[in-house]
Amino acid sequence: MARLNMAQVQELKEIMEDAFEDLISTYIQDSQDKLKQLSKANFDQNADMIGSLGHSLKGSSLNICAEDLSTIFKQIEDSGRSHDLSTVTQLLIQANAEFEAVKTALNAL
Amino acid sequence: MDEASYKILIADDNMSDRMILTAIVKKMGHTVISASDGLEAVNQYNEQNPDIILLDVMMPNMNGQEAAVEIKSIAGEEMVPIIFLTSLQDASDLAACLESGGDDFLSKPYNPIILTAKINAFSRMLKMHKILQQQKDVISENAEHLLNEQQVARAVYDNVAHSGCLDLPNLKFLLSPFSVFNGDVLLAARKPSGSVHILLGDFTGHGLPAAIGAMPLAEIFYGMTAKGFLMEEILREINSKLKNILPVGYFCCACMANLSFRKKEMEVWMGGLPDYYMFRKDSNEVEHIQSTHLPLGVLSSQAFDATTQRLPFNTGDKLFMWSDGIIESRNDTGDLFGEERLKQIFADNQDRSLLFDEIEHTVNIFTGESGKDDDTTMLEITMVEESEIGEAAIDLSSGAIHGPTDWKMAYTLRGDTLKTFNPLPVMLNILNDVPSLRRLSGQLYTLMAELFSNAFEHGVLGLSSDLKSSTEGFTKYYQQRAENMENIGDGYVCFIFDHKPTDAGGELIIKVIDSGDGFDYKLKKDSDFKVEGYSGRGIPLIRTICETLKYSGNGNTVEVTLHWDAEETE
Repeated sequence: MARLNMAQVQELKEIMEDAFEDLISTYIQDSQDKLKQLSKANFDQNADMIGSLGHSLKGSSLNICAEDLSTIFKQIEDSGRSHDLSTVTQLLIQANAEFEAVKTALNAL
Repeated sequence: MDEASYKILIADDNMSDRMILTAIVKKMGHTVISASDGLEAVNQYNEQNPDIILLDVMMPNMNGQEAAVEIKSIAGEEMVPIIFLTSLQDASDLAACLESGGDDFLSKPYNPIILTAKINAFSRMLKMHKILQQQKDVISENAEHLLNEQQVARAVYDNVAHSGCLDLPNLKFLLSPFSVFNGDVLLAARKPSGSVHILLGDFTGHGLPAAIGAMPLAEIFYGMTAKGFLMEEILREINSKLKNILPVGYFCCACMANLSFRKKEMEVWMGGLPDYYMFRKDSNEVEHIQSTHLPLGVLSSQAFDATTQRLPFNTGDKLFMWSDGIIESRNDTGDLFGEERLKQIFADNQDRSLLFDEIEHTVNIFTGESGKDDDTTMLEITMVEESEIGEAAIDLSSGAIHGPTDWKMAYTLRGDTLKTFNPLPVMLNILNDVPSLRRLSGQLYTLMAELFSNAFEHGVLGLSSDLKSSTEGFTKYYQQRAENMENIGDGYVCFIFDHKPTDAGGELIIKVIDSGDGFDYKLKKDSDFKVEGYSGRGIPLIRTICETLKYSGNGNTVEVTLHWDAEETE
């Protein structure tokens, strides 16, 4: 597992060609929005919402090659699904920190 | 279309995921339509009709599984591959995806090589499905076409092969088709003279090939019978036609009969059929009639023998005709019904009016559930008085009222022509050119037949009609007739027709002169002609048809006059 799977990033670049930067900014924008929604859902203790947002972010992060971040979102998704929200606050802090790191790494590409 | 370009619907609520998929699919040369949730996916499917669908499982509004169920139900028989987008970690969802109609899965992160492989696999499947669908359409179209053709052919066949006057009250028949078409033909038609021609035919084989031969046979039978041709002439024509058109090894076993109500006589020609049974009312005995000829369509015209058997057939007598289907029917264990069982039915029978039903019943019980091996056709003919049958209906399909009305012609028959040729159809044809006479063609035929047979048999051949009143005499009459025919010399019969228009309609005078010795007509009083049973020269019959009848010369010239009224015959 890695912050960014670089072999895969290379592949993605080849697929996206000129649209790569557009993809990165779309991902960042979309993820920031969803992270905010996650915080709100956690505040509301809305387990279903936490589950589905976690699922979405897990998938898009994996597609953007951010494997570690995807793993954190999977844990958040699982918490929501199992209606055990005790660790979600802790996981969200981790996710925000990792997201910032991924963002920096992506923008540096 | 090796590198087919497809329309692919990508439904994913995550915009960045959609972008990646779109890039991969577009690179493959396909067109992309996208949707951001399940509901939009269903709408896009309806509007754009995509070929392949990539569907995310977790989506707002309508999730992927619900969308898949919806889309598959809209698609019906059409093939729409659905590839679910999911991660392998969600394995528990996979089963649910399959149940909702998913065809495959693609897991995140998206791998372009795997997606390309999957899309290519489905595009091959789509191609095959399309070909299969086209072939299925072609096959069902063909099947429908074939069925339609068969139904039309069946209707034509039934019209041709089982029409005529089979519904006469003295005929009872049974036709059981072995397949859509059976190879059996059963025809009956009235002659202009009022007699009935009957033909039972059994073509080799079954189904369409056997049925095709029935068409020309029926055409000739009905056409020539209506025109007044004799059995022998009709049989010759049918034989030569079938010989020409049927392939070698195909032929028609047949029996043709002429049922004459006036002469109380049955004339029969049989080729290739099992024995027919004739039940005599007076003696209560059963006589067998055997086939004496080869089937129709076997011999060339030169070799064909149209000789008939003439049998007295009195009121109440019955003739039973059948195809070989009766004696060749089999039971469950494969035994043939056979002739012995048939004879036994006749021997056991108590009430002759039940014979027909008893035969049918016994054969049905014998064959049981095993069905029938052959076409089973059976006919019972009973001799009745002509009054029970009614007059022959003449076809008046032509409505023209004009035509020749003022003309005269003479037609003389001599030598071999007089012996072998039947002049009646030719003469009737000419008379039928006068439209109003067409309605009288039955009577005209009878009249001319009587005049001709008087002139020929009693005049030229000098035969005495008294002979025909007993059964022994009947045979003797025909023997003598054959002998005298050999010595016909320069004998002749001459018909002179004279037709003139009148105020009301027209007048037809027919004068017949024969080369015979004549007879002393002056000695016969008018009343003698009308005595019932007196068959002398058929004169009472002629008197009922004509207004005037005059003998002249030494009795070898007879002249009859008929008037027709234009209004009555309209």
